[in-house]
Amino acid sequence: MTTPPDPLDPLLDRWTESTESAPDLAPEVWRRIALAEGASRQTGGFWGELDAWLSRPPFAALFVTCCALLGLFLAEVRVNRMQREHSAEIARSYLLLIDPLLKAGPDARLP
Amino acid sequence: MNRGGLVLLLGIAVGVATHLVYFRVHEPADTDSIDAQLAWMRGELQLSDAQFARIRELHEASNPRLRALAAQVARMEAEFAAFENTRRTTDRVDFIEFARFVETRRAISQQCLDSTRQLVRAAASEMTPSQRARYLGIVALNTQPTGPLTN
Repeated sequence: MTTPPDPLDPLLDRWTESTESAPDLAPEVWRRIALAEGASRQTGGFWGELDAWLSRPPFAALFVTCCALLGLFLAEVRVNRMQREHSAEIARSYLLLIDPLLKAGPDARLP
Repeated sequence: MNRGGLVLLLGIAVGVATHLVYFRVHEPADTDSIDAQLAWMRGELQLSDAQFARIRELHEASNPRLRALAAQVARMEAEFAAFENTRRTTDRVDFIEFARFVETRRAISQQCLDSTRQLVRAAASEMTPSQRARYLGIVALNTQPTGPLTN
């Protein structure tokens, strides 16, 4: 009784014939990896870099904190400027309150 | 959207939100009310509680009279405009009526000046010398073109 031929047999026969790897295989692999990384960096550009930085949790937290501080700083500058204007305006309102002739203009003071 | 983009949007949203909240909290109050004006004076001149109470009392006491005078001044302005209109359209002037008008206006202007000076002097008398100098500086500076209130 003969067993039917197994399709794996020829493959197993070939596997036993070990071939020597090319001597420049490792450098070639690293060269290709470097090329692939360079290509991906070039296609991303600035936004790719930014995305890579912001994807890291410490930098993301730092960025959000900096945005909050910038918002506070700009609000403080705006509040200071408004308070200066407000102070001048309220001084003028006070003088209008205590001096009725100011509302009427300079003619009202003339004899 | 990728993670970096989300962090970017989150940062911008946080910045805008903190800006708006801080600004809303520190936004200056209105300027038209007497309370706001006296509060400004208190801060500007660093008045004590007792000084502030006395100065507030003085301003509240004189406020009705000053308002009445302001209404009279506005009425005189309207009358003067009517005189001018009549003179331009008819080329005639009722000199007797105009003389009465000028006399009335002069009297009202004098009452206004007296009332204002009285209030300024009374308020200044409640202040320390440095506060008084600052207060009179504010009052005189803003009324210089038509005559100082501090004489």
